[in-house]
Amino acid sequence: MSTLPIWQFDVLLLILVVLFAVVALSIRNLMGAAVVFGAYSFMMCLIWAGMGAVDVAFTEAAVGAGVSTVFVVSTLYNTGATVQPRTGGLAFKLFIGVVVTIAGAFLLSALPDFPEWGASDSPVNAKVAPYYILNTIADSHVPNVVTSVLADYRGFDTLLETTVVFIACIAIYSILRIDKAKLEVGEPAAAPVPRYDPGDSLIVRQASRFMVPFMQLFALYVIAHGHYSPGGGFQGGVILGASLILLAISFDLKSLLRQWSEKTLMLLVAAGVFLYAAVGLACMFMGGNYLDYGFLDSILPGEKDMARSHGILLVEIGVGITVMFSMIAIHINLASNGRFDRGL
Amino acid sequence: MEKLIANFNYVIVVILMMIGLWSMLAQKNLIKKCIGMAIFQTGIILFFISIGAKDNALIPILTEAANHTYPVSDVSKVANPLTQILMLTAIVVGVATLGVALALAQKIYQQHSSFDEDEILENERK
Repeated sequence: MSTLPIWQFDVLLLILVVLFAVVALSIRNLMGAAVVFGAYSFMMCLIWAGMGAVDVAFTEAAVGAGVSTVFVVSTLYNTGATVQPRTGGLAFKLFIGVVVTIAGAFLLSALPDFPEWGASDSPVNAKVAPYYILNTIADSHVPNVVTSVLADYRGFDTLLETTVVFIACIAIYSILRIDKAKLEVGEPAAAPVPRYDPGDSLIVRQASRFMVPFMQLFALYVIAHGHYSPGGGFQGGVILGASLILLAISFDLKSLLRQWSEKTLMLLVAAGVFLYAAVGLACMFMGGNYLDYGFLDSILPGEKDMARSHGILLVEIGVGITVMFSMIAIHINLASNGRFDRGL
Repeated sequence: MEKLIANFNYVIVVILMMIGLWSMLAQKNLIKKCIGMAIFQTGIILFFISIGAKDNALIPILTEAANHTYPVSDVSKVANPLTQILMLTAIVVGVATLGVALALAQKIYQQHSSFDEDEILENERK
Protein backbone atom coordinates (compact mmCIF):
# COMPACT_ATOMS: atom_id res chain seq x y z
CA MET A 1 0.00 0.00 0.00
CA SER A 2 1.42 3.31 -0.98
CA THR A 3 0.93 6.29 1.29
CA LEU A 4 0.14 8.50 -1.67
CA PRO A 5 -3.59 8.45 -2.42
CA ILE A 6 -2.89 8.55 -6.16
CA TRP A 7 -0.98 6.01 -8.20
CA GLN A 8 2.44 7.18 -9.36
CA PHE A 9 1.79 5.84 -12.85
CA ASP A 10 -1.24 8.10 -13.05
CA VAL A 11 0.85 11.15 -12.15
CA LEU A 12 3.21 10.34 -15.02
CA LEU A 13 0.32 9.91 -17.47
CA LEU A 14 -1.39 13.09 -16.32
CA ILE A 15 1.78 15.11 -16.92
CA LEU A 16 2.18 13.46 -20.33
CA VAL A 17 -1.40 14.40 -21.22
CA VAL A 18 -0.74 18.07 -20.49
CA LEU A 19 2.44 17.91 -22.57
CA PHE A 20 0.59 16.36 -25.51
CA ALA A 21 -2.15 18.99 -25.27
CA VAL A 22 0.43 21.80 -25.38
CA VAL A 23 2.27 20.19 -28.30
CA ALA A 24 -0.95 19.59 -30.26
CA LEU A 25 -1.81 23.26 -29.97
CA SER A 26 1.64 24.77 -30.53
CA ILE A 27 2.82 22.64 -33.47
CA ARG A 28 2.57 24.59 -36.73
CA ASN A 29 1.86 21.67 -39.03
CA LEU A 30 -1.88 21.06 -38.78
CA MET A 31 -1.61 17.42 -39.87
CA GLY A 32 0.92 16.90 -37.09
CA ALA A 33 -1.44 18.59 -34.63
CA ALA A 34 -4.19 16.14 -35.59
CA VAL A 35 -1.91 13.15 -35.01
CA VAL A 36 -0.59 14.46 -31.67
CA PHE A 37 -4.18 15.04 -30.65
CA GLY A 38 -4.86 11.36 -31.39
CA ALA A 39 -1.95 10.42 -29.14
CA TYR A 40 -3.35 12.75 -26.47
CA SER A 41 -6.68 10.93 -26.62
CA PHE A 42 -4.94 7.60 -26.28
CA MET A 43 -3.03 8.73 -23.15
CA MET A 44 -6.33 9.99 -21.75
CA CYS A 45 -7.90 6.59 -22.38
CA LEU A 46 -5.07 4.90 -20.41
CA ILE A 47 -5.75 7.22 -17.45
CA TRP A 48 -9.45 6.40 -17.49
CA ALA A 49 -8.75 2.68 -17.69
CA GLY A 50 -6.50 3.12 -14.64
CA MET A 51 -9.36 4.73 -12.72
CA GLY A 52 -11.64 1.77 -13.41
CA ALA A 53 -13.66 3.40 -16.16
CA VAL A 54 -13.11 0.66 -18.74
CA ASP A 55 -16.17 1.43 -20.83
CA VAL A 56 -15.22 5.09 -21.09
CA ALA A 57 -11.64 4.17 -21.98
CA PHE A 58 -12.90 1.80 -24.67
CA THR A 59 -15.11 4.51 -26.14
CA GLU A 60 -12.31 7.06 -26.07
CA ALA A 61 -9.91 4.63 -27.77
CA ALA A 62 -12.40 4.05 -30.57
CA VAL A 63 -13.75 7.58 -30.84
CA GLY A 64 -11.11 10.03 -29.65
CA ALA A 65 -7.98 8.29 -30.84
CA GLY A 66 -9.61 6.76 -33.91
CA VAL A 67 -12.55 8.40 -35.59
CA SER A 68 -12.08 12.03 -34.52
CA THR A 69 -8.49 11.99 -35.78
CA VAL A 70 -9.80 10.70 -39.10
CA PHE A 71 -12.35 13.54 -39.20
CA VAL A 72 -9.68 16.19 -38.64
CA VAL A 73 -7.34 14.59 -41.18
CA SER A 74 -10.06 14.35 -43.83
CA THR A 75 -10.97 18.02 -43.34
CA LEU A 76 -7.31 19.00 -43.75
CA TYR A 77 -6.89 16.70 -46.73
CA ASN A 78 -9.83 18.25 -48.45
CA THR A 79 -8.75 21.82 -47.96
CA GLY A 80 -5.04 21.31 -48.44
CA ALA A 81 -4.31 23.71 -45.59
CA THR A 82 -1.59 21.82 -43.78
CA VAL A 83 0.54 24.63 -42.37
CA GLN A 84 -0.61 27.37 -40.08
CA PRO A 85 0.70 30.52 -41.79
CA ARG A 86 1.10 33.00 -38.93
CA THR A 87 0.08 33.66 -35.36
CA GLY A 88 -1.69 36.56 -33.70
CA GLY A 89 -0.11 39.54 -31.96
CA LEU A 90 1.76 39.09 -28.69
CA ALA A 91 -0.33 41.69 -26.82
CA PHE A 92 -3.55 39.90 -27.76
CA LYS A 93 -2.13 36.56 -26.64
CA LEU A 94 -0.98 38.03 -23.33
CA PHE A 95 -4.41 39.53 -22.73
CA ILE A 96 -6.08 36.15 -23.37
CA GLY A 97 -3.44 34.54 -21.16
CA VAL A 98 -4.40 36.83 -18.27
CA VAL A 99 -8.12 36.15 -18.77
CA VAL A 100 -7.52 32.39 -18.82
CA THR A 101 -5.27 32.54 -15.76
CA ILE A 102 -7.96 34.38 -13.80
CA ALA A 103 -10.53 31.77 -14.82
CA GLY A 104 -8.11 29.00 -13.83
CA ALA A 105 -7.39 30.68 -10.48
CA PHE A 106 -11.10 30.72 -9.66
CA LEU A 107 -11.37 27.04 -10.50
CA LEU A 108 -8.26 26.22 -8.44
CA SER A 109 -9.59 28.17 -5.47
CA ALA A 110 -12.50 25.72 -5.30
CA LEU A 111 -10.06 22.80 -5.11
CA PRO A 112 -9.65 22.52 -1.31
CA ASP A 113 -13.40 21.97 -0.97
CA PHE A 114 -13.29 18.77 -2.99
CA PRO A 115 -13.51 15.40 -1.27
CA GLU A 116 -10.22 13.55 -1.38
CA TRP A 117 -9.54 11.68 -4.58
CA GLY A 118 -10.69 8.08 -4.35
CA ALA A 119 -12.91 8.57 -1.29
CA SER A 120 -15.82 6.14 -1.49
CA ASP A 121 -17.99 8.19 0.89
CA SER A 122 -17.98 11.38 -1.19
CA PRO A 123 -21.44 12.67 -2.18
CA VAL A 124 -21.04 11.49 -5.76
CA ASN A 125 -20.21 7.95 -4.74
CA ALA A 126 -22.48 7.58 -1.73
CA LYS A 127 -25.92 8.77 -2.87
CA VAL A 128 -27.36 7.32 -6.06
CA ALA A 129 -24.66 5.07 -7.50
CA PRO A 130 -24.83 2.29 -4.85
CA TYR A 131 -28.44 1.59 -5.82
CA TYR A 132 -27.34 0.65 -9.34
CA ILE A 133 -24.51 -1.55 -8.11
CA LEU A 134 -26.71 -3.36 -5.59
CA ASN A 135 -29.75 -3.92 -7.80
CA THR A 136 -28.49 -4.51 -11.34
CA ILE A 137 -28.26 -8.30 -11.02
CA ALA A 138 -31.70 -8.69 -9.43
CA ASP A 139 -33.34 -6.25 -11.83
CA SER A 140 -31.92 -7.22 -15.17
CA HIS A 141 -29.21 -9.91 -14.85
CA VAL A 142 -26.62 -7.55 -16.35
CA PRO A 143 -23.25 -7.81 -14.56
CA ASN A 144 -21.84 -4.79 -16.40
CA VAL A 145 -23.37 -2.03 -14.30
CA VAL A 146 -22.44 0.61 -16.87
CA THR A 147 -24.55 -1.11 -19.53
CA SER A 148 -27.58 -1.50 -17.30
CA VAL A 149 -27.44 2.14 -16.14
CA LEU A 150 -26.86 3.30 -19.72
CA ALA A 151 -29.72 1.49 -21.36
CA ASP A 152 -32.13 0.71 -18.54
CA TYR A 153 -32.02 2.96 -15.47
CA ARG A 154 -31.09 6.05 -17.45
CA GLY A 155 -32.54 5.04 -20.80
CA PHE A 156 -33.97 8.49 -21.48
CA ASP A 157 -30.50 10.02 -21.35
CA THR A 158 -29.15 7.59 -23.88
CA LEU A 159 -32.17 7.95 -26.16
CA LEU A 160 -31.65 11.69 -26.32
CA GLU A 161 -27.86 11.37 -26.72
CA THR A 162 -28.47 9.08 -29.69
CA THR A 163 -30.87 11.68 -31.05
CA VAL A 164 -28.14 14.31 -30.68
CA VAL A 165 -25.81 12.19 -32.82
CA PHE A 166 -28.60 11.85 -35.37
CA ILE A 167 -29.22 15.62 -35.38
CA ALA A 168 -25.49 16.35 -35.70
CA CYS A 169 -25.44 14.07 -38.74
CA ILE A 170 -28.35 16.00 -40.30
CA ALA A 171 -26.64 19.30 -39.47
CA ILE A 172 -23.47 18.23 -41.28
CA TYR A 173 -25.56 17.19 -44.26
CA SER A 174 -27.26 20.56 -44.42
CA ILE A 175 -23.95 22.41 -44.05
CA LEU A 176 -21.81 20.53 -46.55
CA ARG A 177 -23.88 18.51 -49.00
CA ILE A 178 -23.75 19.95 -52.51
CA ASP A 179 -26.17 18.82 -55.18
CA LYS A 180 -24.30 18.04 -58.39
CA ALA A 181 -27.18 19.24 -60.58
CA LYS A 182 -27.09 22.67 -58.97
CA LEU A 183 -23.32 22.81 -59.19
CA GLU A 184 -23.30 22.74 -62.99
CA VAL A 185 -25.38 25.87 -63.44
CA GLY A 186 -24.01 27.69 -60.40
CA GLU A 187 -20.48 28.43 -59.38
CA PRO A 188 -17.67 26.34 -60.86
CA ALA A 189 -16.40 23.41 -58.86
CA ALA A 190 -13.51 24.17 -56.52
CA ALA A 191 -10.09 23.49 -57.99
CA PRO A 192 -9.00 19.92 -57.26
CA VAL A 193 -6.49 19.70 -54.44
CA PRO A 194 -3.30 17.75 -55.11
CA ARG A 195 -3.80 14.49 -53.32
CA TYR A 196 -2.19 11.29 -52.32
CA ASP A 197 -4.26 8.32 -53.39
CA PRO A 198 -4.06 5.50 -50.85
CA GLY A 199 -6.01 3.31 -53.29
CA ASP A 200 -2.78 3.04 -55.30
CA SER A 201 -0.99 1.29 -52.48
CA LEU A 202 -1.17 -2.49 -52.75
CA ILE A 203 -0.11 -2.97 -49.12
CA VAL A 204 -2.77 -0.67 -47.69
CA ARG A 205 -5.45 -2.24 -49.88
CA GLN A 206 -4.60 -5.85 -49.05
CA ALA A 207 -4.03 -5.17 -45.36
CA SER A 208 -7.39 -3.47 -44.96
CA ARG A 209 -9.12 -6.19 -46.98
CA PHE A 210 -7.71 -8.66 -44.46
CA MET A 211 -8.52 -6.56 -41.39
CA VAL A 212 -12.04 -5.35 -42.09
CA PRO A 213 -13.90 -8.68 -41.55
CA PHE A 214 -12.16 -9.19 -38.21
CA MET A 215 -12.96 -5.62 -37.15
CA GLN A 216 -16.61 -6.11 -37.98
CA LEU A 217 -16.78 -9.48 -36.21
CA PHE A 218 -15.17 -7.91 -33.14
CA ALA A 219 -17.61 -5.00 -33.26
CA LEU A 220 -20.59 -7.35 -33.38
CA TYR A 221 -19.12 -9.21 -30.40
CA VAL A 222 -18.72 -5.90 -28.55
CA ILE A 223 -22.39 -5.03 -29.12
CA ALA A 224 -23.73 -8.48 -28.29
CA HIS A 225 -21.46 -9.05 -25.28
CA GLY A 226 -21.90 -5.57 -23.81
CA HIS A 227 -23.90 -7.04 -20.92
CA TYR A 228 -20.94 -9.01 -19.61
CA SER A 229 -17.84 -7.09 -20.68
CA PRO A 230 -16.85 -3.52 -21.52
CA GLY A 231 -18.65 -2.46 -24.64
CA GLY A 232 -22.09 -1.88 -26.03
CA GLY A 233 -23.86 -0.05 -28.79
CA PHE A 234 -21.70 3.09 -28.79
CA GLN A 235 -18.34 1.32 -28.93
CA GLY A 236 -19.47 -1.41 -31.33
CA GLY A 237 -21.16 1.12 -33.59
CA VAL A 238 -18.05 3.26 -33.77
CA ILE A 239 -15.87 0.23 -34.59
CA LEU A 240 -18.31 -0.91 -37.31
CA GLY A 241 -18.31 2.61 -38.71
CA ALA A 242 -14.51 2.74 -38.56
CA SER A 243 -14.24 -0.53 -40.49
CA LEU A 244 -16.25 0.92 -43.37
CA ILE A 245 -14.34 4.22 -43.16
CA LEU A 246 -11.15 2.16 -43.48
CA LEU A 247 -12.58 0.59 -46.65
CA ALA A 248 -13.46 4.04 -47.99
CA ILE A 249 -9.93 5.28 -47.34
CA SER A 250 -8.04 2.29 -48.68
CA PHE A 251 -10.17 1.78 -51.80
CA ASP A 252 -12.25 4.80 -52.68
CA LEU A 253 -15.48 6.47 -51.75
CA LYS A 254 -17.23 5.23 -54.88
CA SER A 255 -16.86 1.58 -53.98
CA LEU A 256 -18.29 2.25 -50.53
CA LEU A 257 -21.20 4.23 -51.94
CA ARG A 258 -21.97 1.41 -54.38
CA GLN A 259 -22.75 -0.81 -51.39
CA TRP A 260 -24.33 1.82 -49.18
CA SER A 261 -26.08 4.48 -51.17
CA GLU A 262 -26.59 7.91 -49.67
CA LYS A 263 -30.28 7.25 -49.17
CA THR A 264 -29.66 3.94 -47.41
CA LEU A 265 -27.14 5.58 -45.10
CA MET A 266 -29.54 8.30 -43.99
CA LEU A 267 -32.44 5.88 -43.61
CA LEU A 268 -30.32 3.63 -41.40
CA VAL A 269 -29.14 6.57 -39.25
CA ALA A 270 -32.81 7.32 -38.60
CA ALA A 271 -33.68 3.62 -38.23
CA GLY A 272 -31.42 3.23 -35.18
CA VAL A 273 -33.11 6.06 -33.28
CA PHE A 274 -36.46 4.73 -34.44
CA LEU A 275 -35.70 1.25 -33.08
CA TYR A 276 -34.77 2.75 -29.72
CA ALA A 277 -37.91 4.89 -29.54
CA ALA A 278 -40.08 2.03 -30.80
CA VAL A 279 -38.88 -0.28 -28.01
CA GLY A 280 -39.92 2.44 -25.57
CA LEU A 281 -43.34 2.75 -27.22
CA ALA A 282 -43.80 -1.02 -27.19
CA CYS A 283 -43.33 -0.92 -23.42
CA MET A 284 -46.16 1.62 -23.23
CA PHE A 285 -48.42 -0.60 -25.34
CA MET A 286 -47.75 -3.48 -22.95
CA GLY A 287 -48.96 -1.36 -20.05
CA GLY A 288 -45.73 0.01 -18.61
CA ASN A 289 -43.93 3.32 -18.62
CA TYR A 290 -41.85 4.51 -21.56
CA LEU A 291 -38.65 2.42 -21.81
CA ASP A 292 -39.71 0.14 -18.93
CA TYR A 293 -38.52 -3.07 -20.58
CA GLY A 294 -39.90 -5.28 -17.81
CA PHE A 295 -43.33 -5.11 -19.42
CA LEU A 296 -42.02 -6.73 -22.61
CA ASP A 297 -41.95 -10.10 -20.84
CA SER A 298 -44.95 -11.38 -22.78
CA ILE A 299 -43.26 -10.96 -26.18
CA LEU A 300 -39.63 -11.53 -25.18
CA PRO A 301 -38.44 -14.85 -23.70
CA GLY A 302 -37.98 -15.15 -19.95
CA GLU A 303 -39.36 -13.49 -16.87
CA LYS A 304 -39.42 -9.75 -16.14
CA ASP A 305 -35.71 -9.54 -15.34
CA MET A 306 -34.67 -11.37 -18.51
CA ALA A 307 -37.05 -9.18 -20.53
CA ARG A 308 -35.17 -6.17 -19.24
CA SER A 309 -31.90 -7.78 -20.27
CA HIS A 310 -33.23 -8.42 -23.78
CA GLY A 311 -34.71 -4.93 -23.95
CA ILE A 312 -31.25 -3.52 -23.21
CA LEU A 313 -29.84 -5.58 -26.08
CA LEU A 314 -32.50 -4.29 -28.53
CA VAL A 315 -31.80 -0.72 -27.50
CA GLU A 316 -28.04 -1.20 -27.80
CA ILE A 317 -28.52 -2.50 -31.34
CA GLY A 318 -30.48 0.66 -32.17
CA VAL A 319 -27.70 2.83 -30.72
CA GLY A 320 -25.11 0.81 -32.66
CA ILE A 321 -26.92 1.28 -35.99
CA THR A 322 -27.29 5.04 -35.53
CA VAL A 323 -23.72 5.58 -34.38
CA MET A 324 -22.24 3.37 -37.12
CA PHE A 325 -24.01 5.01 -40.03
CA SER A 326 -23.75 8.56 -38.71
CA MET A 327 -19.97 8.12 -38.36
CA ILE A 328 -19.82 6.92 -41.98
CA ALA A 329 -22.08 9.73 -43.23
CA ILE A 330 -20.06 12.38 -41.37
CA HIS A 331 -16.82 10.96 -42.77
CA ILE A 332 -18.12 10.90 -46.35
CA ASN A 333 -19.37 14.48 -46.09
CA LEU A 334 -16.10 15.76 -44.62
CA ALA A 335 -13.84 13.74 -46.92
CA SER A 336 -15.60 14.56 -50.18
CA ASN A 337 -16.49 18.14 -49.31
CA GLY A 338 -20.15 17.27 -49.53
CA ARG A 339 -19.88 16.11 -53.15
CA PHE A 340 -20.03 12.36 -52.51
CA ASP A 341 -17.79 11.63 -55.48
CA ARG A 342 -14.22 11.15 -54.38
CA GLY A 343 -12.15 11.95 -51.36
CA LEU A 344 -9.77 10.59 -48.76
CA MET B 1 0.76 20.84 -0.52
CA GLU B 2 -0.61 17.55 0.82
CA LYS B 3 -4.02 18.55 -0.43
CA LEU B 4 -2.58 19.50 -3.80
CA ILE B 5 -0.93 16.10 -4.30
CA ALA B 6 -4.05 14.29 -3.10
CA ASN B 7 -6.10 16.21 -5.63
CA PHE B 8 -3.53 16.17 -8.43
CA ASN B 9 -6.20 15.00 -10.89
CA TYR B 10 -8.25 18.11 -10.35
CA VAL B 11 -5.22 20.34 -10.85
CA ILE B 12 -4.65 18.66 -14.22
CA VAL B 13 -8.34 19.13 -15.03
CA VAL B 14 -8.02 22.87 -14.40
CA ILE B 15 -4.82 23.05 -16.47
CA LEU B 16 -6.44 21.19 -19.39
CA MET B 17 -9.48 23.46 -19.25
CA MET B 18 -7.20 26.51 -19.23
CA ILE B 19 -5.26 25.18 -22.23
CA GLY B 20 -8.50 24.50 -24.10
CA LEU B 21 -9.99 27.89 -23.27
CA TRP B 22 -6.77 29.69 -24.22
CA SER B 23 -6.65 27.91 -27.54
CA MET B 24 -10.31 28.65 -28.32
CA LEU B 25 -9.75 32.36 -27.61
CA ALA B 26 -6.19 33.06 -28.70
CA GLN B 27 -5.52 30.70 -31.60
CA LYS B 28 -6.29 32.21 -35.00
CA ASN B 29 -6.58 28.89 -36.79
CA LEU B 30 -10.03 27.30 -36.92
CA ILE B 31 -8.69 23.72 -36.78
CA LYS B 32 -6.65 24.60 -33.69
CA LYS B 33 -9.80 26.05 -32.16
CA CYS B 34 -11.62 22.76 -32.80
CA ILE B 35 -8.79 20.79 -31.17
CA GLY B 36 -8.85 23.22 -28.24
CA MET B 37 -12.57 22.62 -27.84
CA ALA B 38 -11.96 18.86 -27.76
CA ILE B 39 -9.22 19.31 -25.12
CA PHE B 40 -11.54 21.41 -22.97
CA GLN B 41 -14.10 18.65 -23.27
CA THR B 42 -11.70 15.86 -22.28
CA GLY B 43 -10.74 17.99 -19.27
CA ILE B 44 -14.35 17.93 -18.10
CA ILE B 45 -14.62 14.19 -18.79
CA LEU B 46 -11.46 13.60 -16.74
CA PHE B 47 -13.08 15.58 -13.91
CA PHE B 48 -16.18 13.38 -13.92
CA ILE B 49 -14.16 10.15 -14.05
CA SER B 50 -11.95 11.44 -11.20
CA ILE B 51 -14.85 12.15 -8.86
CA GLY B 52 -16.28 8.70 -9.63
CA ALA B 53 -13.04 6.81 -8.98
CA LYS B 54 -12.57 4.98 -5.70
CA ASP B 55 -9.33 3.91 -4.11
CA ASN B 56 -8.68 0.17 -4.41
CA ALA B 57 -11.90 -0.36 -6.32
CA LEU B 58 -12.54 -2.77 -9.16
CA ILE B 59 -14.18 -1.99 -12.48
CA PRO B 60 -17.99 -1.84 -12.38
CA ILE B 61 -18.49 -5.30 -13.87
CA LEU B 62 -19.71 -7.76 -11.27
CA THR B 63 -18.25 -11.21 -11.85
CA GLU B 64 -17.66 -14.19 -9.65
CA ALA B 65 -14.08 -14.32 -10.89
CA ALA B 66 -13.47 -10.98 -9.15
CA ASN B 67 -14.89 -12.45 -5.90
CA HIS B 68 -18.07 -10.44 -6.11
CA THR B 69 -21.05 -11.88 -4.31
CA TYR B 70 -24.65 -11.14 -5.24
CA PRO B 71 -25.86 -8.78 -3.98
CA VAL B 72 -22.59 -6.89 -3.70
CA SER B 73 -21.51 -6.78 -0.04
CA ASP B 74 -19.13 -3.83 -0.24
CA VAL B 75 -20.16 -1.05 -2.60
CA SER B 76 -16.94 0.86 -1.98
CA LYS B 77 -15.02 -1.85 -3.87
CA VAL B 78 -16.81 -1.12 -7.15
CA ALA B 79 -16.06 2.06 -9.12
CA ASN B 80 -18.95 4.48 -9.60
CA PRO B 81 -20.83 3.51 -12.79
CA LEU B 82 -23.01 6.64 -12.91
CA THR B 83 -20.32 9.19 -13.78
CA GLN B 84 -18.90 6.70 -16.27
CA ILE B 85 -22.07 6.34 -18.33
CA LEU B 86 -22.63 10.10 -18.36
CA MET B 87 -19.16 10.54 -19.85
CA LEU B 88 -19.42 7.57 -22.21
CA THR B 89 -22.32 9.19 -24.04
CA ALA B 90 -20.63 12.60 -23.80
CA ILE B 91 -17.63 11.28 -25.74
CA VAL B 92 -19.78 10.04 -28.64
CA VAL B 93 -21.80 13.24 -28.70
CA GLY B 94 -18.46 15.09 -28.54
CA VAL B 95 -17.21 13.49 -31.73
CA ALA B 96 -20.50 14.35 -33.47
CA THR B 97 -20.21 18.00 -32.43
CA LEU B 98 -16.54 18.00 -33.48
CA GLY B 99 -17.79 16.83 -36.87
CA VAL B 100 -20.24 19.74 -37.04
CA ALA B 101 -17.47 22.19 -36.10
CA LEU B 102 -15.16 20.75 -38.77
CA ALA B 103 -17.96 20.90 -41.35
CA LEU B 104 -18.48 24.59 -40.57
CA ALA B 105 -14.73 25.21 -40.82
CA GLN B 106 -14.65 23.40 -44.16
CA LYS B 107 -17.54 25.49 -45.49
CA ILE B 108 -15.69 28.66 -44.40
CA TYR B 109 -12.59 27.40 -46.20
CA GLN B 110 -14.60 26.94 -49.39
CA GLN B 111 -15.61 30.61 -49.26
CA HIS B 112 -12.36 32.19 -48.13
CA SER B 113 -9.66 29.55 -48.86
CA SER B 114 -8.19 30.04 -45.44
CA PHE B 115 -8.53 28.73 -41.90
CA ASP B 116 -6.96 31.90 -40.51
CA GLU B 117 -9.33 34.18 -38.63
CA ASP B 118 -7.63 37.43 -39.68
CA GLU B 119 -7.60 36.50 -43.37
CA ILE B 120 -11.28 35.53 -43.21
CA LEU B 121 -12.16 38.88 -41.64
CA GLU B 122 -10.12 40.75 -44.27
CA ASN B 123 -11.94 38.82 -46.99
CA GLU B 124 -15.29 39.69 -45.43
CA ARG B 125 -14.51 43.42 -45.42
CA LYS B 126 -13.58 43.52 -49.11
